Amino acid sequence: MTRAFQLSPLTLRILAFVVLLVLIAGVFQALTPSYLTVTNIHGLLRHMAVQGLAALGLTFVIVVHHFDLSFPGVASLGAMTLGGLIAAGYGLPVSIGGALGVGLLCGLINGVSVALFRLPDIVATIATGGIAIGFSYFYSGGTSISENFFGSGILDINDSKVFSIDAPVVILAAAAAVAFVVLHCSRFGRAFYATGENPTAAIFSGIHVRIYIGVAFGLCGLLACLAILLLVASSGASNVSAGNQLLMPAFAAVYLGAALMGAPSVPATLAGTLLMSMMLTGFTLLAVPYYYSDAIVSAVLITAIAAFDPKLAGALRRLGRFQFGVGRREVSP
Amino acid sequence: MTTIAQARPIMKKGSRIELQALLVRYGLVLLLIAVSALFAWQQPSFASPGSLSNLLRSSAISAIMFLGLTWIIAAGEIDVSFMSVAALSNMITAGFVDAGSGWIVASSAGIASGLAVGFLNGTLVALLRLPALVITIATGGLAASVAAAIGHGTSISLRTTGFVGDIVTTSIGLVPILAIAVLVLYQFAYILQDRMTLGHYIYAMEQNREAVVEAGIPVSRILMLLYLLSGGLSAVAGVLLTADLSSGQPYIGGSYFIDGLTAVLLGGMVLKMGQPNVIGTVVGILLLAVLLNGAALMGWSDSQRQIVRGGLLIAGVSMVVWTRRKARPRN
Repeated sequence: MTRAFQLSPLTLRILAFVVLLVLIAGVFQALTPSYLTVTNIHGLLRHMAVQGLAALGLTFVIVVHHFDLSFPGVASLGAMTLGGLIAAGYGLPVSIGGALGVGLLCGLINGVSVALFRLPDIVATIATGGIAIGFSYFYSGGTSISENFFGSGILDINDSKVFSIDAPVVILAAAAAVAFVVLHCSRFGRAFYATGENPTAAIFSGIHVRIYIGVAFGLCGLLACLAILLLVASSGASNVSAGNQLLMPAFAAVYLGAALMGAPSVPATLAGTLLMSMMLTGFTLLAVPYYYSDAIVSAVLITAIAAFDPKLAGALRRLGRFQFGVGRREVSP
Repeated sequence: MTTIAQARPIMKKGSRIELQALLVRYGLVLLLIAVSALFAWQQPSFASPGSLSNLLRSSAISAIMFLGLTWIIAAGEIDVSFMSVAALSNMITAGFVDAGSGWIVASSAGIASGLAVGFLNGTLVALLRLPALVITIATGGLAASVAAAIGHGTSISLRTTGFVGDIVTTSIGLVPILAIAVLVLYQFAYILQDRMTLGHYIYAMEQNREAVVEAGIPVSRILMLLYLLSGGLSAVAGVLLTADLSSGQPYIGGSYFIDGLTAVLLGGMVLKMGQPNVIGTVVGILLLAVLLNGAALMGWSDSQRQIVRGGLLIAGVSMVVWTRRKARPRN
C-alpha cells in the first residue's frame, strides 16, 4: 500500500461512521419528514441516554473479554428497588442510592463468581440474572409501582434541563466522559485492555487481573441500574420487565461500535448506540410495530459481528487491496 | 470466548477419589429419588396419577427441546436461541392452523422454520466461526421477533389440535406415549453419544478443537449438524406445545431458557463428571420438573421458584467447576 493514497485508519473509521450517520438520517428523513425535527431529536437523544448507559457498562465487560447476560435482570431489580423505596416513602437520594447500590452489588457478585471462583461467565451471569428477576417480584408481587412518584421528584430527572439539554443526555455525557478518562487516559484503563488481550501476560506485568474483571462486572451492574433509573423516570412507573429491552440493543451497540472503530471503546460504544437509536426511533416514527424492533437489532448485531470479525475482514482485505483499509483491525485504540 | 464446559476423566485411582467420584456421578439421581419421595410423602396430590402423567408429558417436551443443546454445550459451544426457536415454530404452526391449513402442513412449516434458524446458526458459528453466544443471542432475538409478529404481539388460540393433539394426549396406562417416544429417542442418542465415533468427536472438540481439526475430522460439519439438530428438535417441541396448549404463545420461550441450561449443566454431573450428556439431561429435567411442581404444590410463588431455578443453575455450575478442579491433577 502506498502512503500517498492512505488516510490514517482512524480518520477513515470516523469517515465511515459519518457516512453511515448521514445515510441513516437521509433515508429516514426521506421516508418521514418529521425525522429531523427538534422534538424527534430530543426523543432520540433520550432513547440514546438509556441504551448508551447500559451499553457503556457492557463495554467494560467486553473489554476484559467476558460476557454479562445478567444486566437486564439486574436492571429490573434496580427499577423495582427504586420504585419500592419511593413507594415506601423514602427520599429520592436514598431511593436512587438503593437502586444503584443493588446494581453494583449484583455486578460485584457476578465479578466474584467469575474472577475469584472462576465460574464460566455466560452461565453464571444467566443464573444471577434469573435470581435478580426473581427478587424483583418481592416488592410488589410483580405489579408495576408508581405510588409517590409525583411527589418524590424522580420525574424531574427526566424533565429538567441543563443549559437547554435534557438531563438524561447530560447524565450519559457525564458518565461517558468519566468512562473515557478511566478507560483511555489512565493506567487503570490500559490494565482493562491488557486483562482482556492476554490475562497471563497481564498477571506477569503486575496487574491484578481478578480485581479488574470484578470491577468491570461491578460497573456493568451499576450502569445498567443507572440506565433503568432514567427509563423509570421517563415512564413514571417501575416494572419487573423493565430491563428486558436492554439486552439486545446494548450488545448491538457495543459490537456495532467495535466494528466501526476497530475495537471496543467508549467512543465506539457511543457511536454504536447513536446509530442504533437513530434506527430504532426512525422505525418507531414509521409506525413499525414494537415487535419488529428486536428483528432490526438482531440484523444489525449479526452484520456488526461479521464486520468485526478479523477473519472475514482479512478475507475482504485480500479481495481488494485498495479498499481503504476498512477491514483493518487495530490491536487496541 | 470463554468455554462453557471443559472436563477431563478422573486421573487418580485412589479409593477416596473413587468414592467421591461415585457420589458425584450418582448424587443427582439419588437427589431426584429423595426429592420425589419427600414431595410424595408431604403432598399426596403430587403422586396422583394425573399429576405424574402431566409431569412426564411436560418433561418429555423439554427433553426434546434440550437434546441438541446438550451436545452443543458438550462440544464447547453455546446456543441461547433454542427457546425462541420453539416459540417461533409454535407460532408458525398456530398461524398456519388458524389460517385454515391442515396440521401436517402447519407442523412441517414449524419444523422447517426451526431448521432454518439452525442452519443460520450453523452457517455463522460453524462455517464463518463467529462467536456463538452473541450470534445465537441475535438469531434468538430474530426468531422471537418474528414469532411475536405472526400474532401481532398476542397469542393465537386454536379450536382443534389435530393429530399432534392425539400424540400429546394419548397415554398407555399412566405413561404418556410422548414419554415413551422420548425414551426411545434418548436411547438412540445415548448409543450415538457413547458407542459411535460422532459422540467421541463431540467431546474431543470441547477438549482441543485444533487437535480434532488436525486429525482430519470435519469439525465445522459436525457443528453445523448439531445446530441443525438443536433447531429442528426445538421446533418439534414447539409444535408439540402448540397442541398441548391448543394455542400459539409468542413469549413461551422465556420459561425454558434457564431450565434448559440448568438441566444440561446440572445433568453434566451425572455419569460424566461435568460433561453434558443425554442421560444427565434427562435426570436434570426430571429433577427440575419435580422440584418446581412440588414447590408449586407447597404454595411457592413464581418468583420464589425463579430464584430456585437460578440457584440450582449456579449450584450446578459451581459443582462442575469444583469437581473438575479436584479431578485434574495439575490444579
